Amino acid sequence: MTLLEVRGVTKEFVTRGEGTMARKSVFTAVDDVSFEVELGETLAIVGESGSGKSTTARIAARLLEPTAGAVVFDGQDVTRARGKELASFRNNVQVVFQDPFSSLNPRYTVEGIVTAPLTYQGITPKGGRRAFTQELMERVGLNPDHCRRYPAQFSGGQAQRIGIARALAVNPKLVICDEAVSALDVSIQAQVLELLMRLQRESGFSYVFIAHDLAVVRQISQRVAVMNRGRIVEVGTRDQVFGDPQDEYTKTLLAAVPRINPEWDARRRGKKAS
Amino acid sequence: MSDELFVVDNLTVTLPTSRGPVDVVKNVSFTVGRDETVGIVGESGSGKSMTALAVLGLLPRGARTSGSVRLDGAELLGRSDRDLKSVRGNAISMVFQDPLSSLNPYYTVGLQIEEMYRTHRGGTRRAARRVAIEALERVHIPDAARRVDHYPHQFSGGMRQRVMIAMALCCSPSLLIADEPTTALDVTVQAQILELLSELQSTTGTGMMFITHDLAVISSIAQRVLVMQSGDPVEYGTAEQVFSDPRHEYTRMLLDAVPRIDDEVAL
Repeated sequence: MTLLEVRGVTKEFVTRGEGTMARKSVFTAVDDVSFEVELGETLAIVGESGSGKSTTARIAARLLEPTAGAVVFDGQDVTRARGKELASFRNNVQVVFQDPFSSLNPRYTVEGIVTAPLTYQGITPKGGRRAFTQELMERVGLNPDHCRRYPAQFSGGQAQRIGIARALAVNPKLVICDEAVSALDVSIQAQVLELLMRLQRESGFSYVFIAHDLAVVRQISQRVAVMNRGRIVEVGTRDQVFGDPQDEYTKTLLAAVPRINPEWDARRRGKKAS
Repeated sequence: MSDELFVVDNLTVTLPTSRGPVDVVKNVSFTVGRDETVGIVGESGSGKSMTALAVLGLLPRGARTSGSVRLDGAELLGRSDRDLKSVRGNAISMVFQDPLSSLNPYYTVGLQIEEMYRTHRGGTRRAARRVAIEALERVHIPDAARRVDHYPHQFSGGMRQRVMIAMALCCSPSLLIADEPTTALDVTVQAQILELLSELQSTTGTGMMFITHDLAVISSIAQRVLVMQSGDPVEYGTAEQVFSDPRHEYTRMLLDAVPRIDDEVAL
């Protein structure tokens, strides 16, 4: 079942050129982008800086309005949704951002942060806020006894878990992760990726996973879209895109990824296996 | 002696905190030979950047150091700031992660390279300008004679990092400290900068201390590797040994955590 459909989305930003008499110029950040996300799958959107991947994510999350094109969720055109319709969309689509500290209110406790989407939606959790928060914290691997602490009292990896808990509070059908593990140390990153995959197995929601790191994308996604200069240059299953890339840009991107010397790596892993 | 350009011996860095002094670097030892790149790798808070700052005497106020840091046999630790000014940018220079915040937006890149050069080498502005253009050419900035008069914001991220490298190398240092020099760059640009650094090293013979959190980057550029964790040196050896036969549990954990692009992974 198609959960999210992005149809021919274009986003233009008007910029002023240099100098006082400069004419306005139009920068097309996203140029006629279309893709679909099935229920329960993970679609990764990869690209370098300026490729338009984050703008695309923001449009899909209805945080930005497209200049042209449509966002269809669960069969409903939500491109210009307002009021109740938009609230229902927000109830189903949540976002996890890159920097956990700047996306968590520093003056709210974990309980305040995690239950904020419920307040916004006018939902009172069964069993009360405290129990609800503690249950969610346990799901994302945080100590439930810390529910009255503030974001600053957590490490970066833990803070990202709070952001994930907040996204899950409304039981969404789609979670958009915008560089959600990019700021984390590699050992923490592996744990958070593991968590994201486990949560999906448990709850069956979809991810749109925005990232610049191709190796991370390979771990988590079933399908991959590659963006360059505002356009999707290639989209396919993970194994197609990584194993048999068709587009020149995708090939360049894959070739540029630094790799641990394969011979050394194989030797180490061989030793480990034996 | 000749292969031991740079020696760090039992370096400890202590920072004052509200809860008393904390050792952020503990008994770190390594050597960098001429022509050699030593990679220092660790996660955030491992002390890898503090090690670099200690070498250059750029630690925050109140920091204490012990041990020994020698370049060509001359002790650097405990030297006065004035004394170290003649070393920084001259015998030892540094490239940082973010070129935009390390370049002055008000001056052309040419002026900034000229300033660096004339501070250490003197000479006329005209001669320094020639050095600046040559330096930009060496890092493959196209149309260097024109670009020398451009401001930092007129360069892309990758080109800016090339400018930083040009500046760092204009006084022909014997040691280059690169602190996460490719971390802020896109992967295709990163590959170009890594290639540039290797190329420049083979032509100039500069020793390099390369600090990064990225094990794959280290594997592609360093001959020797020091792994750090919370200020402790946990493993030190040739790149081949560290990557193919790590002795320490932490190194193994770190290597296992690196996502692989070439692995078939089941979902």
